[in-house]
Amino acid sequence: MKFFAVALATLLAAAPVAAQETLLRARLNSDIRSTDPGTNRDANTDAVVLHIVEGLVAYRENTSVGPLLAERIDIAPDGLSYTFTLRNGVRFHNGAMLTSADVKFAWDRYLRRETNWRCLPEFDGRGATKVTGIETPDPRTVVFRLERPSALFLANMARADCGGSGIWHRDSLNADGSWNTPIGTGPFRMGEWRRNQFVEVTRFPDYSARPGEVDGYTGNKTAYVDRVRWLVIPDASAAKAALLSGAIDINPDIANQDLEELRARPDIRLSATTTMGMMALLMQTRDPLLQDVRIRRAIALTLDYPELVRALSDGQSTYNPSVIPTASGAHGAVQQQGFSRNIEEARRLLRAAGYRGQTIRMLTTRRYNSLLEMATLTQAMAQEAGLNIEFEVLDWATQLDRYTRGDYQMMAFTYSARLDPSLSFEMVSGPKATQPRKAWDNAEALALLQESMQVTDPARRQALFDELHRRFIAEVPMIVLYNDANIAAHRTSMTGFRSWATGQPRFWGVRLQ
Amino acid sequence: MIGYAARRSLAAIPTLLLVAIAVFLLMRLIPGDPAQLMLGDAASAEEVQALRRSMGLEAPLPLQFLHWAGAALGGNLGRSITNGEPVLPLILSRFSVTAAIVLLAVALATLVAVPLGMLAAWKQNRATDLAVVAFATLMLSIPSFWLGLILLLVFGVKLGWLPVVGFVTFAEDPWAAAAYIVLPVATLVLIELGGMTRMARAATIDVLRLDYISHARAKGLSEFTVMRRHALPNAFAPTLTLIGLVLGNLLGGIAVIETVFTLPGLGRLLVEAIFQRDYPVVQGVMLFVAGIYVVVNLLVDLAYPIFDPRVTAE
Repeated sequence: MKFFAVALATLLAAAPVAAQETLLRARLNSDIRSTDPGTNRDANTDAVVLHIVEGLVAYRENTSVGPLLAERIDIAPDGLSYTFTLRNGVRFHNGAMLTSADVKFAWDRYLRRETNWRCLPEFDGRGATKVTGIETPDPRTVVFRLERPSALFLANMARADCGGSGIWHRDSLNADGSWNTPIGTGPFRMGEWRRNQFVEVTRFPDYSARPGEVDGYTGNKTAYVDRVRWLVIPDASAAKAALLSGAIDINPDIANQDLEELRARPDIRLSATTTMGMMALLMQTRDPLLQDVRIRRAIALTLDYPELVRALSDGQSTYNPSVIPTASGAHGAVQQQGFSRNIEEARRLLRAAGYRGQTIRMLTTRRYNSLLEMATLTQAMAQEAGLNIEFEVLDWATQLDRYTRGDYQMMAFTYSARLDPSLSFEMVSGPKATQPRKAWDNAEALALLQESMQVTDPARRQALFDELHRRFIAEVPMIVLYNDANIAAHRTSMTGFRSWATGQPRFWGVRLQ
Repeated sequence: MIGYAARRSLAAIPTLLLVAIAVFLLMRLIPGDPAQLMLGDAASAEEVQALRRSMGLEAPLPLQFLHWAGAALGGNLGRSITNGEPVLPLILSRFSVTAAIVLLAVALATLVAVPLGMLAAWKQNRATDLAVVAFATLMLSIPSFWLGLILLLVFGVKLGWLPVVGFVTFAEDPWAAAAYIVLPVATLVLIELGGMTRMARAATIDVLRLDYISHARAKGLSEFTVMRRHALPNAFAPTLTLIGLVLGNLLGGIAVIETVFTLPGLGRLLVEAIFQRDYPVVQGVMLFVAGIYVVVNLLVDLAYPIFDPRVTAE
């Protein structure tokens, strides 16, 4: 009997133990819209899709652009052609090798109007430049020909909201050319998508990783977990309960007010970073009252910036008066020059402008807590100088509609991340006659901005950004407050996760114990 | 009875038409543009207009309505403009989740509330009655999201007995499905218990004052028989009306409960569609909800004669 027991124990010990499959569960605050890169999308869609598809280039951790599917990028001296040499040995999720023909196939679809690719205007001549031709001289080389040089060509190509201009295999399409499912080259392949419940991706074992470390959306993207399941959990409190109970491993974007509680827990780790999203107070420069720059400046001088930003971000961000995010390489000493509180000067300016207590209406929303708080605190601080600001709370769709039409006096608003400084200025600048959503309408500034989009010399570009910032502060078309912080909370069983400037989670390089 | 049901169904057509027109117009009157929401803050007016055109939102409103209503008559409620899914299957799949929870919760709440209300009425103004009334009032006063979160924290996080997030259908795994719906059902039962108990109590008190109850007691019937055979049928009729209203209300979506417990139900679908200005989904869900009210009210009316012989379906 004893012999059998020993033999059984030995047998069990020697038997190969199947490695336990690892499943990482993350929170999504709303379902993804589609799996078609850069078309029917939102930030959640981008986050999932960019685990599946990869583009020729991608943003690095420091928000510069680096190669991803490309091994090398050669730019012609006149800036009118970009030659991409593809990496060797890259496979699609269906086993096919990546070739230049696949790149051209995907790009031809992106450039068709009926695809509704979000970034088409940047490549069809309406925006930064026009792609006049895509050539494939050999299976590893792709040449993009441009109508005019553009400093933003690669930056636009890498944008997350453009789906990273991801290259997918032609079998991603149905027979009629419509989108079916993404067959990309990324570290994960598409798994099950149960609408409004979860979307799952599975590790791609034949993934061809770049050497080195995790670096933004490029770098080493080796997946270590077998599956990632994003669970749709709209309610923040339910998401917190799920994290604490272990029903999810990570909540990539927690509310600031939960910070202290989660920080105190031994089973939870936090990963915080300042993103490139921008929180700002817009002022309609066409409004009869606010067209007077003295009133706009007076409003700017009433705010106690360090205190305001500390309160709004729960101490996670610092005052940034520039549209260029603090995490950007183009953000320097000039961009730190902004406003500081001076109630006496504000009163003087208001008197000089003939302000007699007229009501200024500010729009805000409950969709983002910080926007509602921004309106409340601004109202209170401005009151000290005699400014009469009243605010109106709208739902997000209504506020976005009013923003688009320029139909406001003041507005507490949040802009999504732009990773290139030219794009940061472009999102707020433009002729109001044709683009009423733009906050800053100044012909000279627009000329400088156009130049920044064409020149490729970094020093010249920086000089242009510095000049744009000085003019922006002098004209006060809006008051930039800070770049929002992204705080991810994950269980200690999860290692290798790091949040970064885009605020989007990355689950390659992540391990589960 | 069949003729009555048919007449009531026909009478519902103008109601449904009015609902369709009102929802269509109201959605277009409120500010907010689905194309703008999809494209975000970076989109130009030209891009927004192009997307609106591709969504069919640039056509004149009467034409849009006729197009939608014509298709709806044929059972086609269109496709979601945010994710392209056909609306009717979407509604039916979400409704199945909501209906499973609501029907179970209302049945359980009824089974508890009616005896509890009758007990309180029978023991009127005594300690039992006071305790039941206090409990019912407490349940009426507690917001559903708060109660749901508390149950979630206690049974999901602290005790770890029940899953905190997720949903599995009964077809996939009956045991797991049951585990996922325990907390939402319990929350709904507790919330609805208050109103139903009070209604059952009030109705029973009225009935217990009537002469035929005294007559039954005088005959020497036991109190249990008096309550079950004589008081219950008459006291249940007003509660049945309330149950009908509650059912109609809840089957139209339990958005708060669905959000707290991450259930893919009809209420969450509607709320998200409103925020996204997903016109076809909002119109489809509202029409469906109106239909639910019509059907539930009809069923309640048809059930009345069973409990109260004075009422006839005709």
